[in-house]
Amino acid sequence: MMDGALTSERPRPGADTSTVHSYSVRICHWINVVACAYLLLSGVHIFLDFPELYWGNTGYRGYPAAFRLEDWGLSWDEAGALGDRRWGRNYHFTFAWVFLLNGLVYVGWNLYSTHFRNRMLPARDELTVAHLRTELRDHLRWRSHTRNCVGSYGTLQKTSYLILIFVFVPLMILTGIAQSPGFTAAMPALLDLFGGRQSARTLHTIGTVALVLFVAVHLLEIAAAGFFNQIRSMITGKSTVSIHSGTRK
Amino acid sequence: MSKRISRRAWLTSVPALGGLLVTGCSRETFVPPRVRGGLIGAADVLTMSTNRLLLSGQQLAREYARSDVADPFPTWNQTNPRNEEYQRHLSEGFRNWRLPITGLVERPRELSLDEIRSLPARTQITAHVCEQGWSAIGEWTGAPLQRVLEAAGGVTAAARYVVIDTFDRWYEGYDLFEVEHPQTILAYGLNGRALPRGNGAPLRLRVERQCGYKNLKFLRSIQVVDSMAGFGRGTGGINSDFGFHWFAGV
Repeated sequence: MMDGALTSERPRPGADTSTVHSYSVRICHWINVVACAYLLLSGVHIFLDFPELYWGNTGYRGYPAAFRLEDWGLSWDEAGALGDRRWGRNYHFTFAWVFLLNGLVYVGWNLYSTHFRNRMLPARDELTVAHLRTELRDHLRWRSHTRNCVGSYGTLQKTSYLILIFVFVPLMILTGIAQSPGFTAAMPALLDLFGGRQSARTLHTIGTVALVLFVAVHLLEIAAAGFFNQIRSMITGKSTVSIHSGTRK
Repeated sequence: MSKRISRRAWLTSVPALGGLLVTGCSRETFVPPRVRGGLIGAADVLTMSTNRLLLSGQQLAREYARSDVADPFPTWNQTNPRNEEYQRHLSEGFRNWRLPITGLVERPRELSLDEIRSLPARTQITAHVCEQGWSAIGEWTGAPLQRVLEAAGGVTAAARYVVIDTFDRWYEGYDLFEVEHPQTILAYGLNGRALPRGNGAPLRLRVERQCGYKNLKFLRSIQVVDSMAGFGRGTGGINSDFGFHWFAGV
């Protein structure tokens, strides 16, 4: 159904289609999109109900703050009227579980199917300074690697995905549960790791901003690589491959 | 062959896990009194059971140094219940205030503030974690809830929840796993002085592994029950009646 509808987008002469994303990647990707959208929205709701950030273990209204939304033009009451922490907390923790379980399935499935080894780990010759410099230059000139070579990731792309999955996401989960009185009773080291509960909350918020920027860049990259072809490949798994795909211009 | 053995090992681990649930901890330890529908309810159960499995050793929440204490301790929400009875007790310095302990205990009775003060006490410097986002460290002194219940002969075999009622018309239910924790105390002291009115005088509950809204202030009575069905909307507490999590460990 989906396939037929989308491939009716007229293929260019000399174009062919090939499978670029496995089922597991596609299913997990879209579950992740829904989970992250809810996590962001509910997280903003939770934040607006207490729109100040602190450093260390202690932080309350009147305590020296690292960030106050009030200083940026939105008063405490205005922020409170926009935020709904009941809705926020319910959905944040629900989709945190969806995000976590989906992520474990994704990582488990792809480690098992050697997806990570074959596609995500940069090859040795990709990690040379010369190669990285060329790729970065192409990148800044808005010449997408993916457009030329469908079905494989650029080195910068691979590296950023790996850092995201194995460093950034675990840090978001840990700074999240480091705010929980229950989890920190079981794992007090979390408090030491981030310098306290309020530090963890602040880092969790900074991480959210970083993730939003990551998604923005991700969407720009997709636009650069051909938006419809990229979206289609993440839905149907198929992508239009130019017969010139081998030659890099 | 090896596959078959591992499957059998896995299958036998299921009753083992069941056994873990039964040893001292019943269903109430892992599941809220009333499970909500849909994905939210499933997440509630996952959150609570994960927490409880991780805390099965009844570990203590972190205790801090005297120098970490916030003094004066911040006040939040209700600081002076507009309740005639409460105002009378307040004006009398809580001399005539009594805490009734009723329901599924061996010897239901009332305790005065002095009687509670004479029970074995515990002082703990812990972080109060509000679900809204703030946290502050205070030095709490009080009688462990378990000792208070023992002063009424202890709970009977049918007991499942302890329901605490307050003068600001809040109520919350607590499963026995939470009640038995050494840091679950009825605090009458804060930062070395009598508990101030704004922080819940004469007596407030400390459940250090749950968020602020489970740490009730202005205590009025304690009831031990076998089910939360008859209270409010039957979800197990006033906060969950209004759609917040019943288990507030996150």
